Amino acid sequence: MEPRPRIGVYICHCGTNVAATVDVEAVTEFAATLPGVVVARHYTYMCSEPGQALIREDARALGLNRVVVASCSPRMHEPTFRAASQEGGVNPYQFEMANIREQCSWVHHDRHEATEKAKALVYAAVMKAIRLEPLEEREAPVTPAALVIGGGVAGMMAALDIAEAGFPVYLVEKSDHLGGRVAELNRTFPDLEPVSEWLPALVDQVQRHPNITVYLNSRVTNITGFVGNFEATVEGAKEPLKVGAIVIATGYDVFDPRRKPEFGYGIYPQVVTTLELEHRLAAGDLTVNGKTPKDVVFIKCVGSRDQQLGRPYCSRVCCMISAKQAQLVRQALPDARVTVFYMDVRTFGKRGEEFYDEARRAGVRYRRGNVSEIYRRGDRVVVRVEDTLLGRTIEHEADLVVLAVGMEPRPEAADIAALLKLPRSADGFFLEAHPKLRPVDTAVDGVFLAGCCQSPKDIPDTIAQAKAAAASALIPLMRGVVPMEAATAIVDPELCAGCGMCVEICPYGAPGLDPLWGVSRVNAVLCKGCGACAVTCPSKAIRLQHFTPDQILAQVEALVGW
Amino acid sequence: MLMDIQQHAREIGLGLDLFSCIQCGKCTGGCPVSLTTALNVRSLVYGALIGDIAGPVHREELWDCTCCFTCVERCPKDVRPAEVIIALRSLLVEEGKVPSTIGNALMGIFRQGNPLGYAREDRTAWMDGLEVQPAQEGCETLLFTCCSSAYDIRAQAATKALVRVLQAAGVDFGHLGTEETCCGNEVRRVGEMGLFEMLVEEGKPLLEEVGAARMVTTSPHCMNTFRHEYKLGMDVLHYTQVLARLLDEGRLNLTGRVEKVVTYHDPCFLGKQNGIFDEPREVLKAIPGVKFVEMDRIRERSLCCEGGGGRMWFEGTNTEGRLAFQRVQEAADTGAEILAVACPFCMAMLDDAVKVKGLSERLKVMDIAELVAMAL
Amino acid sequence: MSDNGFEPKIVAFLCNWCTYTGADLAGTSRIQYPPNVRIIRLMCSGSVDPTYVLKALLDGADGVLIGGCHPGDCHYQSGNYKARRRIIALKEILKQAGLDEDRVWLRWISASEGQRFADTVTQMVQYLKEKGPNPMKREWAV
Repeated sequence: MEPRPRIGVYICHCGTNVAATVDVEAVTEFAATLPGVVVARHYTYMCSEPGQALIREDARALGLNRVVVASCSPRMHEPTFRAASQEGGVNPYQFEMANIREQCSWVHHDRHEATEKAKALVYAAVMKAIRLEPLEEREAPVTPAALVIGGGVAGMMAALDIAEAGFPVYLVEKSDHLGGRVAELNRTFPDLEPVSEWLPALVDQVQRHPNITVYLNSRVTNITGFVGNFEATVEGAKEPLKVGAIVIATGYDVFDPRRKPEFGYGIYPQVVTTLELEHRLAAGDLTVNGKTPKDVVFIKCVGSRDQQLGRPYCSRVCCMISAKQAQLVRQALPDARVTVFYMDVRTFGKRGEEFYDEARRAGVRYRRGNVSEIYRRGDRVVVRVEDTLLGRTIEHEADLVVLAVGMEPRPEAADIAALLKLPRSADGFFLEAHPKLRPVDTAVDGVFLAGCCQSPKDIPDTIAQAKAAAASALIPLMRGVVPMEAATAIVDPELCAGCGMCVEICPYGAPGLDPLWGVSRVNAVLCKGCGACAVTCPSKAIRLQHFTPDQILAQVEALVGW
Repeated sequence: MLMDIQQHAREIGLGLDLFSCIQCGKCTGGCPVSLTTALNVRSLVYGALIGDIAGPVHREELWDCTCCFTCVERCPKDVRPAEVIIALRSLLVEEGKVPSTIGNALMGIFRQGNPLGYAREDRTAWMDGLEVQPAQEGCETLLFTCCSSAYDIRAQAATKALVRVLQAAGVDFGHLGTEETCCGNEVRRVGEMGLFEMLVEEGKPLLEEVGAARMVTTSPHCMNTFRHEYKLGMDVLHYTQVLARLLDEGRLNLTGRVEKVVTYHDPCFLGKQNGIFDEPREVLKAIPGVKFVEMDRIRERSLCCEGGGGRMWFEGTNTEGRLAFQRVQEAADTGAEILAVACPFCMAMLDDAVKVKGLSERLKVMDIAELVAMAL
Repeated sequence: MSDNGFEPKIVAFLCNWCTYTGADLAGTSRIQYPPNVRIIRLMCSGSVDPTYVLKALLDGADGVLIGGCHPGDCHYQSGNYKARRRIIALKEILKQAGLDEDRVWLRWISASEGQRFADTVTQMVQYLKEKGPNPMKREWAV
């Protein structure tokens, strides 16, 4: 016989995040009256060390066997509080959380209503906690290898770090060479260093590394499995690649300025993109129609910060690229007038503002105005723009116009997202698990993001993220085991009629009919804990642990009843 | 006068969003009249946002705006800048401070159903010599003629040509006759919201009673307001779309030849505002003998003729620097003998400009329907 | 709108991976919506047993929202399709029993659609206010 529930309830203020909207004292008083509750407290930050100590010490001193914390989303701190409960001697699966921040205090204004809702959520959590059963956490071995998708700077850097830590890495690149977008660049900001001074060496290092296998002209066509045990089908690999972790580094696409027809890109040879100018600068040829330009114009934010195009974001690098290219054009064509038309100048980051200063001191003219239209006049083009500081529309004649094109998600990102069920944000870039705390993680355990596939960024930020993704991917690889889902389905053989409906519905082949007894049994290693079988079972013999009908119905009753 | 322009704009049904503006200047930079008049729509948006509109609101250049909506099409933040002008105009209309010529046009519409002030009974005078069926229940297509197409002598020729072409193709269409009334597209854009509402209230049932599957308009302006502001229960097409379809389906056979070099001017209300760029060109290219050439500023970069937004009834603050002058010169420079148009306002503005600029010997302005009729 | 001060109660069964996370995003984005909704976290919309929905309605919930991943996005491959089939069947049963199937809403809301979650709740509250209290509520004790 299970011992009677002895529950500790802890209401978190989260500073003022919860406490400003929810009357935490009232919720605590209410919680103390609930069945099975032995102690109810509130505290400024439950996730802090003193907060966790409250749980540990109460658990030991009062002999708690259930813990409920009402604070943020369980997607945030459930692991934290499970660990604290365990340290206090409570089974981590007899812990339950009430989300009174993301789903209460942050979305409701009215203090009374928010407090009543918080009470209902705590009530439901206690009702569920009473019915929670102890579960045993198990571990699965990890395949000690990693898959990196994308052979640009992000992918190469992540691959190198994982390989250097001693693990095999499979690096898959869809083109016929490594280096990605950076290979198309001439010099980089803010040092004007030629890419050729470091990129070939990096590519060489990746290609020669004994732990890295590079697949060029190749794509990942299928991925199955879960953290620690993925299997990827890769074009060019004879058999599926077994890996424990995956880093996605699929990069970005360059905005096609034909979608801004007012600039006449594709019509006028005078109008080029920043990427095309990069090639011309590398080749040392800036002539247009055989003539050396006397007037060069840069136009910023082409395909960025544009609601109408569904590209509302800033691409973050174009201001620096323009400043860089404008300086290089000044050097190459000392007699030419160089003008940058801008909405805002965003040269943030280390040495950013100084670089902008250098561009102006080098004789680049910055004029504020978002260019509206380009048309032909003789063998030049006219840039029609309002200089907003003068409050006057001007026709600026130019020989070369450079469109600072933004970054956008690659269309193939949709395929990768579908393979791994990865969420993407509204702009199409991959969505990180948390905007601040988990910037390289994804919603899928064991899958990490590096570089511009997550959002536009420059080379230093890309490399920093790649190294962070590598470090995160190394956690399961180095630990060698991953915790396995404890909340799996189990069968009560007394109730099971052996109809096999659970076998049919499970996408993972976890349940199987025991040939001897004619009843279903669940292979816990294969079960992912989705619960589809439990709903299907006509005799309710199979149930998903930790989400059992009696637990859920108790929650329903509490939520409707309060 | 200090008031909340944003709120006023909402009340009169505009989508203006002042708070989204970042003052980038894309609007004014692309405004066709910003080089020749004092109109600066960005600065008006700013003034309206911060509540400093006492100055701007009485400026005469407010009436210079042609409502070409280039600013609306290009604004990266969906501010709909031109609507600040419409909102300010509506305040002036409420105070009765309207240029007299615009006032006369509005009066003409109120009294006779057309801005020219001609008698309502004369609306069908252009039909003389043609058999035009009255719109009756069950007719497939309703032909809607713009007031200009009905009364303006030069535009009437295009209307007649269109009727001949539709009849040649065997299109079953009818016309409302003298009950037909101004669509009010420009009425709304000069800010006379009350009169516009009245036109919609009276016009909508009249148009829908016919029960036609589609309406064909001679003017892109009428098409625009019927499509977006009347919310009619039928397809609204510009006549060039219909002609392109008839040619495509082989229902319109052109056996004659027009041995001319032809260029085409995109009307703002057809092209920029409604994305109809290809059909007029397809029709012109289908005319046997026509050598089609393009100007530089076409499609989304087309230069406005300066006839919209009430400018048919208002000279503007700079009559010297008319855009139509530039436009006909550009057309002539292509070597074209004919500048094709698809809008009665463009016809009036450009035809006039050809005469003023002394280009009549080299360049003739013709409606696409006229060119097609020549090839029947 | 005549709501007579009636505040509907909504029980929401949300899948952990998409809609629950979307609801969290509404929170981190501070998107306000009416407090009438109370959320139960499940791993998958495919594990919503129709009896949970019935229980909620019989206990007196005025509406039940089931939130899952968009088609094709299910973390467990096809749980959302299973949910769709079950909810369609449940609604049919409710209808046949003379009960009000429109109080049960199934919506696909992804982890990035915080605004959509808030909008859905707002619309549902509005809808239920117009509809009035749930007549299915059990008036007897067992």
